[in-house]
Amino acid sequence: MGSSTTGAVRGGSDAAPVKPLGEIIFAAVILSIGIVGFVAGAGIQTPDSASDIGPRALPYIVSGLLVIVGAGLIVQLLRGKTGEADEGEDIDPDVRTDWLTVAKMAGTVVVHIFLIIPLGWPVAAAVLFFGAAWALGAKPLWRAAAVGVVMALVLQFAFGGLLGVSLPAGVLEGVPFLNG
Amino acid sequence: MDNFYALLEGFSVAMQPIYLLYALGGVLVGTAVGVLPGIGPAMTVALLMPITYSLEPTAAIIVFAGIYYGGMYGGSTTSILLNTPGESASIVTALEGNRMAKAGRGAAALATAAIGSFIAGTIATVLLSFVAPYVAAFAVQIGPVEYVALMVVAFLTVGALLGASVLRGLASLGLGLFLAFMGVDLMTGQQRYTFGSPFLADGIDVVLVAVGLFALGEALYVASRLRHGPVKVIPVTGGWTSWMKKEDWKRSWKPWLRGTFIGFPIGTMPAGGADVATFLSYAAEKKLAKGTHKKQFGRGAIEGVAGPESANNAAAAGVLVPLLTLGIPTTATAAMMLVAFQRYNIQPGPLLFEVEGALVWALIASLYVGNLMLLVLNLPLVGIWVKILQIPRPYLYAGILVFAALGAFSVNFTPVDVFVLLVIGVLGFVMRRYGYPIAPLVVGMILGPIFESQLRRSLAISQGDPLALVSTPIAAGIYISLVVIFVLSFWMKKRQRLMESATLDDESPRGKEVSA
Repeated sequence: MGSSTTGAVRGGSDAAPVKPLGEIIFAAVILSIGIVGFVAGAGIQTPDSASDIGPRALPYIVSGLLVIVGAGLIVQLLRGKTGEADEGEDIDPDVRTDWLTVAKMAGTVVVHIFLIIPLGWPVAAAVLFFGAAWALGAKPLWRAAAVGVVMALVLQFAFGGLLGVSLPAGVLEGVPFLNG
Repeated sequence: MDNFYALLEGFSVAMQPIYLLYALGGVLVGTAVGVLPGIGPAMTVALLMPITYSLEPTAAIIVFAGIYYGGMYGGSTTSILLNTPGESASIVTALEGNRMAKAGRGAAALATAAIGSFIAGTIATVLLSFVAPYVAAFAVQIGPVEYVALMVVAFLTVGALLGASVLRGLASLGLGLFLAFMGVDLMTGQQRYTFGSPFLADGIDVVLVAVGLFALGEALYVASRLRHGPVKVIPVTGGWTSWMKKEDWKRSWKPWLRGTFIGFPIGTMPAGGADVATFLSYAAEKKLAKGTHKKQFGRGAIEGVAGPESANNAAAAGVLVPLLTLGIPTTATAAMMLVAFQRYNIQPGPLLFEVEGALVWALIASLYVGNLMLLVLNLPLVGIWVKILQIPRPYLYAGILVFAALGAFSVNFTPVDVFVLLVIGVLGFVMRRYGYPIAPLVVGMILGPIFESQLRRSLAISQGDPLALVSTPIAAGIYISLVVIFVLSFWMKKRQRLMESATLDDESPRGKEVSA
């Protein structure tokens, strides 16, 4: 998705000439979740003994809501009424969405997930910190790595060692104070 | 007078050294994280939930109360010194406070915000102590039909009224309810929306959803459009005792009190939370100002900081009334507080004051204590918070990611949960990107199961007659007030838009972060 750079558009009534493809796709996703809700809702078993409206009624209502709202949003978007992107302190309203950075960060999280069990939480956390800081343009890189290692060890010590949260120490298993 | 003695009992618990330490820890963390840009109080509570798993309930609740109030104070420092609000509630403060800071009066703005927050917080906590037991006593008498009505109001106000777009709010609410249905139906034991997966049969943990949306979603979103270059913080000079001049006191005390009495009642209503309160207070101060003071509005009027900032804190206390007595959260932060309670098998609602009296009163007492601590933390120690503001952004957001992953992993200690976190984080990113509010999703997910059981109970009693849902006088009254709220909110939105375009036409903090 993402031919749309609607970030700086306010209120949205000043229609962008380009159709906001990404937004339309998301609205379509909402609509299809509603449809899935109907289809899967039909499969919900209702015991005969149920004295009330049963476990299906509310899921149907919410699915209906999602279908209506999704369709409504698509109509709005086709008419050029786009959403107002969220704003915040660290958000630069004038830049295009940097998909590469987002992908790098999401990728780092995936790597983190696969490292937790084999290498232990501290190593995985240090990798996560370093990867995210690198994606966001931290310089110099050795400092980001150092901060990541220290932070991971401190968290492992504080939560695993002191508060008794069961974080697997992995390769650091056996080091005093770090056992989760 | 019973309540008064109960409150004293609460103090005797909250004043124990160990609980004072927990309260201090809570307000410290709350302020620190509140100061950090991009992190609202809701995200703070969500991130810290796993940390408190090993604490006993009283300690944990006191920590959360500290975080709740601390986050409110911290936000004002950010908005005054950075010109970019962290919570939606402090947008108007950002406007005036930031102009003051640019004109070299940042210290006065910080001081009037901190003192105003303290006064408002204290008065509002007193009001909370005396109002809440009566509301609870009333709430005991209402049945499932009235509950359904109250929750419909909460859904629609949080979902449809607070954001810029009604449809997007409803979509967010619908997604939250959909997630809430996943798993086993509590009343019949049937699986719903599990798609045959044993993993989904347990439902998706609300902590994963909250941390994913608030923390990971926010980090990804900021990453996509990060403001590069050095962080510009406006310096504050001079010792804190000289911050408020006589003139400043004179101009501040009335707005403090007005803000308090605007903020608290609005906070208690399920219709807006702090956002509406700050805006109303700002509008009132602007209207009441005379002569040269009036001309300062938009260029740094101290009344425009004192009033809204007090209203913000008073509303935060007001929000606790429906949360504690009815179990209905009206803001995202309150929703996260509700989850924190539920983790300890404490169910906020009419019976809370009876069943968990000691705990509730300890919580309320710790709010008084925390408020005092916050005043001390925020006046002389403001220099520390300014340092926090300057953390390099790559480290800040990388750190948020690590905490989010830690929180997700500690839910069940399986890496799969971190993967769910990532999926929900991407959803949060897309929602922010396209202007969908986050709060309705979280509120919908948390209130969804309670709403469903009350609705089904109502209809079981009436043998399926839907008219029963509107046929009691209280329920009918609630629905009528919903209509009134709708009309009023559209009128107010129009006014707010007019005002924003009038005052913000040059260099504008256009913030509208509904998720905070």
